Amino acid sequence: MESRQLIDKLEYAIEQLEQARPFNKVRFRSAVLDVGGRLAGEPGGVDALYQLAARCDRAGIFADTPWDQPATLLPGLVRNTLEQGDRQTVLIELLSQLRLLAVSNGVYTHAGIPAEQARHFLAQVMALNLDHLLAGPGEAMRARLGRTSTAVSGVFRYLLENIGFADILGSLVHEVRRIMSQRPLQVDSVKSMITQIALARSRGEGGNGAAAADADRLVSNLFGPTATCADDPGVQLYLERVVRLSAGELESEASAFARAMHENGLVSDYHAVFLRWLALADVDLPIARESLQALALGLSSTGLDALRTFHDLVGRLIEGAVHIGTAQSVYGLALILESGMLYSAPVAPALWRQIDLRLSPVCAEIQSTVFGTQVTPATRLLAGTIQVLGQPLGIGQGNNPTCQAARAISMWASNDPDYLLHLISRAAHFDEIVLHFEGEPISSAGAAGAMIPLDTDPVSVLLVPHLDLIYRLMGELCAGRGDDPHRWINPELHGWWVGRECFLAVDIQTGGLRDYDAFLHRFYCSYHPFYNGNQPIIHPQPAGLAVTDSTGIFVGWHAITLIRVALDGDNVMRLYFFNPNNDSGQDWGAGVKVSTHGNGERHGEASLPFAELASRLYLFHDDTEALVPTTAPDAAELQEVKQMALSSWAAGRDATAQAPTVAGSSAQG
Amino acid sequence: MGNFDRNKGYVAILGWSLNAIDAIDRFDRRYVIVAPSWAEEYANKHDIPFISWNFERLNERSMEIAKRLKDEGVDVAIPLFEETVEWAGAINAVLLDNPRLMGQSLLFRDKALMKRRAQLGGIRVGIFEEAQDKGDVIRFLTRVNQALLKLDGDPNDPIHLKAFDKAGCLGHRVVRTAEDVDNIPDEEFPFLMESHLDGWEFAVEAFIKNGKIHFMNISEYVTLGYSVFVPATPDLEKWRPRVEEEIQKLIDTFEIDFGFIHPEYFVTSDGKMYFGEVAYRPPGFNAFELIERAYGFNAYQAMVMMFDPKTTDEEIEAFFPKEVVDAKGHAGCFGVYPRRRVVNELKIPDATENHAYFEFHELQSPMQNKVPKRSAFGTHWGLVYFFGDDPYQLRDLLKAQEELDYYL
Repeated sequence: MESRQLIDKLEYAIEQLEQARPFNKVRFRSAVLDVGGRLAGEPGGVDALYQLAARCDRAGIFADTPWDQPATLLPGLVRNTLEQGDRQTVLIELLSQLRLLAVSNGVYTHAGIPAEQARHFLAQVMALNLDHLLAGPGEAMRARLGRTSTAVSGVFRYLLENIGFADILGSLVHEVRRIMSQRPLQVDSVKSMITQIALARSRGEGGNGAAAADADRLVSNLFGPTATCADDPGVQLYLERVVRLSAGELESEASAFARAMHENGLVSDYHAVFLRWLALADVDLPIARESLQALALGLSSTGLDALRTFHDLVGRLIEGAVHIGTAQSVYGLALILESGMLYSAPVAPALWRQIDLRLSPVCAEIQSTVFGTQVTPATRLLAGTIQVLGQPLGIGQGNNPTCQAARAISMWASNDPDYLLHLISRAAHFDEIVLHFEGEPISSAGAAGAMIPLDTDPVSVLLVPHLDLIYRLMGELCAGRGDDPHRWINPELHGWWVGRECFLAVDIQTGGLRDYDAFLHRFYCSYHPFYNGNQPIIHPQPAGLAVTDSTGIFVGWHAITLIRVALDGDNVMRLYFFNPNNDSGQDWGAGVKVSTHGNGERHGEASLPFAELASRLYLFHDDTEALVPTTAPDAAELQEVKQMALSSWAAGRDATAQAPTVAGSSAQG
Repeated sequence: MGNFDRNKGYVAILGWSLNAIDAIDRFDRRYVIVAPSWAEEYANKHDIPFISWNFERLNERSMEIAKRLKDEGVDVAIPLFEETVEWAGAINAVLLDNPRLMGQSLLFRDKALMKRRAQLGGIRVGIFEEAQDKGDVIRFLTRVNQALLKLDGDPNDPIHLKAFDKAGCLGHRVVRTAEDVDNIPDEEFPFLMESHLDGWEFAVEAFIKNGKIHFMNISEYVTLGYSVFVPATPDLEKWRPRVEEEIQKLIDTFEIDFGFIHPEYFVTSDGKMYFGEVAYRPPGFNAFELIERAYGFNAYQAMVMMFDPKTTDEEIEAFFPKEVVDAKGHAGCFGVYPRRRVVNELKIPDATENHAYFEFHELQSPMQNKVPKRSAFGTHWGLVYFFGDDPYQLRDLLKAQEELDYYL
């Protein structure tokens, strides 16, 4: 069919969609998608579709679908959509990408997604799907989608032509480094991005510039970080080579692994193989085993001491957890040793308990359903435990409204690791944990298997259903108390160290601001070192944010952890915090941009200047009496913070005008 | 709800159809939807003016809704579905202070009454009778075939069975043999039996105001229950003056002053026109959408205009295009039935997908592999839409779809 005819048909279908009232948009969607999909398969058709993509968006093609909020789309899900989705879903996805290309090119604007973010998104999508781009659709996709698969590769080719692989290579690498600077536990999508880069580079794509060199470094760090495995020889051949290495070669092998791992927090499978061989191989080494292990883990003197002290335990942890498929646990192990956590008396025995832990059938089933059967469920969970303990700030809630549970796990991992190990052992063995609320035991029995977060780490997969249920049960016990339930839940759920006083900026009944000036004043006196007698945050403290989108519009209540307050390199007082959201680098509008690196953040921390964070805060805890005298904060700064709040999430919430739509809804997600 | 013109009428729409509500919300009349309570939450959520009413059989409470609409200031009620036609009649009898409208609506609701009335008005109809049981059916089938001078052993001419009060093909059966009669479930009785007319069947959509036709579309059936397109081929359109005469007869006989009717006719090989049936509501098979595709006006809006007592002649004049000549092309659709007993996937035939007239389809992938056996005319699995310049090519294309597998 002639493209012109299809364009005419498409324009008629779009007109119908444009005219339709919001409740009837869905009626006309399939026509637009159907004709659009065929058009994309014609020569020049993708370009024609691109020209119409913005119009389709405005007409409401994405109404009532996740694509209507492009800022919330996850690049990692695109592949699954293309591989599993039905024809319509695939076509929506393609149209959404063309629409984002228009946003990224500056010819179209869509609320909530600036050009830069659209470009980020497309770069990640392309990186994760380079195979569609370069090799065309696989047989499975062709069989499932018929000629729509032509549209898929057509759209990807078009994106490539308009963004360009050499062009995106730089941003791909930047994207990988930006994400990995936060050291997430979930690295599958980053790994597959690097895999796709590797495949493209092996075909000679991407030129020879600085970005190309940087890309090659990422690839070699993951697939061949040392001289012995630089050619990616496969495990068998690699092991044959390793046994023949001299003392000096073994040392450089070990250090090369450590260097590659600590650069981005990604662990090569060869690294896991090497470490396992070091720990378990019954051979005489030409050099002390421990010092090679310490080198391979990149340990400082602290870590080395821990390794020597807990040598047997570390050996058993490697045996039980470090495999191909769980290579990331090497990084977690290194960080556990470095943190000195093992010197806390209950931690080592609790880890011994976990090494021999027998998983319940339900728990084992869930672990293998979510993560596959490459390793046993017990290995998976042990490796996940090591990772969580090593990287408490690497936890992400996935695409689940369970920020509370993710935050709690993270807090315990850093602050109360033996308690976390206790919960893991109970949940894994008995399918139940019991927490107490004001003296009442609250059981999570029955939670296992309900609502499993599929896109998180093994420990979250195990614990989140339990914690989420208990969080909700505690919420029910607070019903009717007339105030935000987090006032009571937070200390009971997390631990004794949560400040017993709870300060709220919002009246739960009306959604309006309540004593906001006093709230801000107290926050400064509690947490700002200039006004609180220069006291550091001792324990991580739960806090609640009113999260806004990049236009400053209120999105929802969200749980974070306040970790520390310090001056950054530019002498700006910053609050460093943990956001259980997967990617903390977010734009909250009006210049409030959460930073994840470059401003003194440790891996996994997010940060904002103190005032900017205060402007999005609605709930925090502190103890009643300050131990040291506080000073009155700068009134001008408080006013400024208040204005920032009023011009974003608190708009319409001041005493005169209240926002009934948000009243009473306090669930944090 | 959009803005409305205060000089125009306030209409009540009886029945729930998102397409209709969408179109009417975009029009310039104030409206309220009267529909069962299950739709209320949805209506409130989307700011659709709504009155909850459960349309069962007319009963002593009918007055209640009529009074309520009158108090509300509604000028006229418009039925969307067969089941709401008599309600509209009852309500309009009150709103327009014209008790005759009630009786008129009952004629539309009972196919046997309808035929008798048509016959009384001098309109040519086939042979028909009411059936109370299987004995009646056998007798009618035999008598009709005797009258056709069939000998024993000759294949029977079929007869058609239709429920008295259901729309279109619902409950429509074709019966040729005693075995067919045995297969009729008892709960389908009573119904109307009609002789089979060998001829060209077509439907008409007529928009009527002040007893006059303002726009008349002829929908050409390629195969009844499968496909239809508008405007018709010149072969059929050449009958237009005769069709108009017939419609006018219908208007006079049924004393239709305003509204929208959707009658079906046969033209036999000797050029005689037989009346099949008439409905006082929008047709099925998305004919309104085909009309919109071909002519560019929204037929729901046109229908509202026809019912509204405050509509002016100038508005009508400006609204409708000229039949046939103003059509931008011919629009048709085909209802897909799986042809195999076991199906696994939906696959648009290449010949269809590559055809310049093919627009889009609304078919879903099969949810179950086994195709339920069709009794009566059944329901298609979804529609496929076509649009093009040449009505003959379109007709042949629609016909050809019957031989293609959409479900493999």
